[in-house]
Amino acid sequence: MKKANRFSTLFLCFVILFVAAPAMAQEDTLTVLCTPQEDWCVAMTEAFEAETGIDTNYVRLSSGEGLARLRASSENPEFSVWWGGPADAFIAAAEEGLIEAYESPAAAAIPDQYKDADGNWTGVYVGALGFCSNVDVLAELGVEAPTSWEDLLAPELKGFVAMAHPATSGTAFTAFWTVVTLKADALEAAEAGTGYDEEGAPTEAAVDAAFEYFAQLNNNILQYTRSGAAPGSMAGQGEIAVAIIFSHDCTKLQQEGFDGILTTTFPEEGTGYEIGGMGIITNAPEPEAARMWYEWALQAATQEIGPTVNSLQLPTNPDAAVSELAVDLSQIKVINYNFAASGASRVAITERFDAEIATTPTE
Amino acid sequence: MNAIRSTQQFKRLNAILKDPLLIIVLLILVFFVAVAVLLPIIAMVGESFSEEGLPLFQRYLVDPVYQTIILNTLIMGLLVGLIGTAIGFLFAFVQVKLDVPFKRFMHLIALIPVISPPFALATAAIVLFGRNGTISRGVFGSRYDIYGLDGLILVMTLSFFTIAYLNLRGMMEALDPALDEAATNLGANKWRVFRTVTLPMLLPGIASSFLLIFVEAIADLGNPLVMGGNYEVLATRVYVTIIGLFNTTGGAVLSVILLVPSLLVFLVQRYWISRISVISVTGKPSGKPQTINHPLVRWSLFGAVMFICLIIVLIYGTIIHGAFVRVPGVRWDLTTEHFDFIINGIGAQAMRDTTALSVLATPIAALIGILIAYMVVRKEFFGRNALDFSAMLGIAVPGTIIGIGYILSFNTPIMLGDFVIIPKLTGGQGALGGALAIVMVYILRSVPAALRSGTAALSQIDPSIEEASTSLGADSARTFRRITLPLIRPALLAGLIYSFARSMTTISAIIFLTTPQTKIMTQQILNEVENGRYGNAFAYCVILIAIVMVAIGLLYLVVGDQTGAERRLEGGR
Repeated sequence: MKKANRFSTLFLCFVILFVAAPAMAQEDTLTVLCTPQEDWCVAMTEAFEAETGIDTNYVRLSSGEGLARLRASSENPEFSVWWGGPADAFIAAAEEGLIEAYESPAAAAIPDQYKDADGNWTGVYVGALGFCSNVDVLAELGVEAPTSWEDLLAPELKGFVAMAHPATSGTAFTAFWTVVTLKADALEAAEAGTGYDEEGAPTEAAVDAAFEYFAQLNNNILQYTRSGAAPGSMAGQGEIAVAIIFSHDCTKLQQEGFDGILTTTFPEEGTGYEIGGMGIITNAPEPEAARMWYEWALQAATQEIGPTVNSLQLPTNPDAAVSELAVDLSQIKVINYNFAASGASRVAITERFDAEIATTPTE
Repeated sequence: MNAIRSTQQFKRLNAILKDPLLIIVLLILVFFVAVAVLLPIIAMVGESFSEEGLPLFQRYLVDPVYQTIILNTLIMGLLVGLIGTAIGFLFAFVQVKLDVPFKRFMHLIALIPVISPPFALATAAIVLFGRNGTISRGVFGSRYDIYGLDGLILVMTLSFFTIAYLNLRGMMEALDPALDEAATNLGANKWRVFRTVTLPMLLPGIASSFLLIFVEAIADLGNPLVMGGNYEVLATRVYVTIIGLFNTTGGAVLSVILLVPSLLVFLVQRYWISRISVISVTGKPSGKPQTINHPLVRWSLFGAVMFICLIIVLIYGTIIHGAFVRVPGVRWDLTTEHFDFIINGIGAQAMRDTTALSVLATPIAALIGILIAYMVVRKEFFGRNALDFSAMLGIAVPGTIIGIGYILSFNTPIMLGDFVIIPKLTGGQGALGGALAIVMVYILRSVPAALRSGTAALSQIDPSIEEASTSLGADSARTFRRITLPLIRPALLAGLIYSFARSMTTISAIIFLTTPQTKIMTQQILNEVENGRYGNAFAYCVILIAIVMVAIGLLYLVVGDQTGAERRLEGGR
């Protein structure tokens, strides 16, 4: 009977553990859903832990995955605060009630264009979309670094372009919406009222035109990755020539061993940008700690943590120092990005993208 | 005759009923299999046949895009199965039938893939043979496109050929050389002997190796995720559908489509191949196997095996080297920054959690496997075959299906009235921060191996030894502990090693189950690979391989690979 006794002891240990564990978890902990790159997540959570003593955990998920995860666990959320990733996902989350409004005192310091009027989310950084190219591979293929979206369709680049999957990645979704906006502008220029509807959102025709563009681009795409920044490393490794990623992710790679290999260019007809959002999860298990994080993340000093790990997004807090390596938005042409409209169409677009483009074999 | 048989059965059944401990153990085993294995699979199949699920079947099966994906999956499984079996056969043949140097080396190389973390091979293959690969471009100057079917075949055959190797080597060693001799004496030359005697005898082994590799290949998630290119397969589609679109129903439907070939293969393997086996195992073969001396055959086969060994060594060398350079493939300056990042960062928790959960799961899995084997081989009870079959499903079913099944079954507590039978297991709020679900998955994925080796070992032992113990007054627990367990110690060791290695390296089954509170190394490796930080990924792989090696060493020390009798003999000398 000895064996049975040992079994029951083990079982008892289990029972004690999971009765006790949730009770202990209530105090002094915070679980962050973190969307930027892993090392920035580490630096942020460590700094927060050092400052507040709150035991801070994070999970890094790309924004599409994060959104999906919040949706799946909305009745019993695992996370308390969501930090980083393009604001479109936060707008989609707010619309579904997955994040809740919070009147943050610190948000007063953030310029209006970088935050939601209703307080559902506040911007924590800004970054512009660009093309990250491997100069050696480009030279070999005999093409210049792309300076327009049309350049990416060059037949020489067949199989040498990569981007993430818009369903999982906010970066890729930003790229998609940028093309939607450019198509809407073109339609509007040809005939007023065809590019944008009365509310200023791009029309169905503009979205269709963007899908046509990405269907063409699909022939040049090697692989749709899960995470937005991943194509940049593929370009660095020389596996592809051009990655469609945020320019700060390209700069980060240049800082971390790919200097002289990678070059950043921007499309001259205009590029999209992201406001990295932050929001408090509805029914957060640790609401107090989440609000502390929220206030803390908007401080100038906190927004200077990024550059220490080569994350060179622009801070939203005007008092935070700007790294000289960061992109200067006044030097590039930035489109008029309608975040409300993009957030509202996110789900429909990503599903359509998955069905029509990502699964289609290239010609 | 029938009457006698049923009275015998009744007697044995009666023997179980008289032994309360046996009943308790049996109930625990049945409960485990029902809850941990069957319930999630049933929940997943149920979800796919739900009102939202059924129309999706139609959509997926009619859509030419999905037809291509299904076809891709099958083609890949077929090719990997064929090539993997061929390589396994080659290794086994050289090992058993040829008199060549470096046999021990070849054997060890063939075993390495078993303890290899997912993604390691694929990532190293990209560094070596990718568009900018050290070998493909550095040596041959070509921008070889490894992404797609050819790359997948390369990494998958290297990952899975070990299955065929071990399987076929065992069978070749068991072949009675007397048969070869008889054929030779009748005037057949070596080639004819090989073709008409050896090959037919090995056919069941070849078929079952092929099928096992086929199932592993179509279920594999890690490799297609890293180097699939635009070659889409079902496993990655399930992953994107769930992780990206969070369409659990769609994922379940695709999983059922993936489940059909897997289960078919499992059934064929279980009920058909085991029957057509022409080998009569009559104990140890008499005499030494004949070796083949024809120099051309001998050295060309030797060369082929050494070439494959070379590729494997290159790949693992790249992993180890890559862990210590700044950017593998691009910047070769030496650094320990990857290890710093892991050990001083999130990796420390991942190492701790993964090892702890695997250590917890390993003995339980081995014990459950051996106990089920004991019950199935030695005892007679209703549903004996069903118990064995259900436990084996743990590995026959692709990992992603288990994962989805767990989300569907255990996301809310299972209640009977007001009484919680099983608490919520998945997600951050689940029991032990979701760790319990992961341990359960580790266990159910490892039980089949322990069960198989346990069954094989028990079938070799004459039940009269145990009956003698019972006659002398020992109860069944004592008999099992003092007589059976020491006799099958090698099987137990194999079960333990396999369980631990499998738990540490599993990804597809737990990818949907990791939570903020539990960090799993394979999941972290995926993150690093996905973001192209190969240095960090390789460093994780090196640490993981080191942990598994240390554990195997410890298990050898603690459990030992000899039966109790062999120990006594040596001790007495």
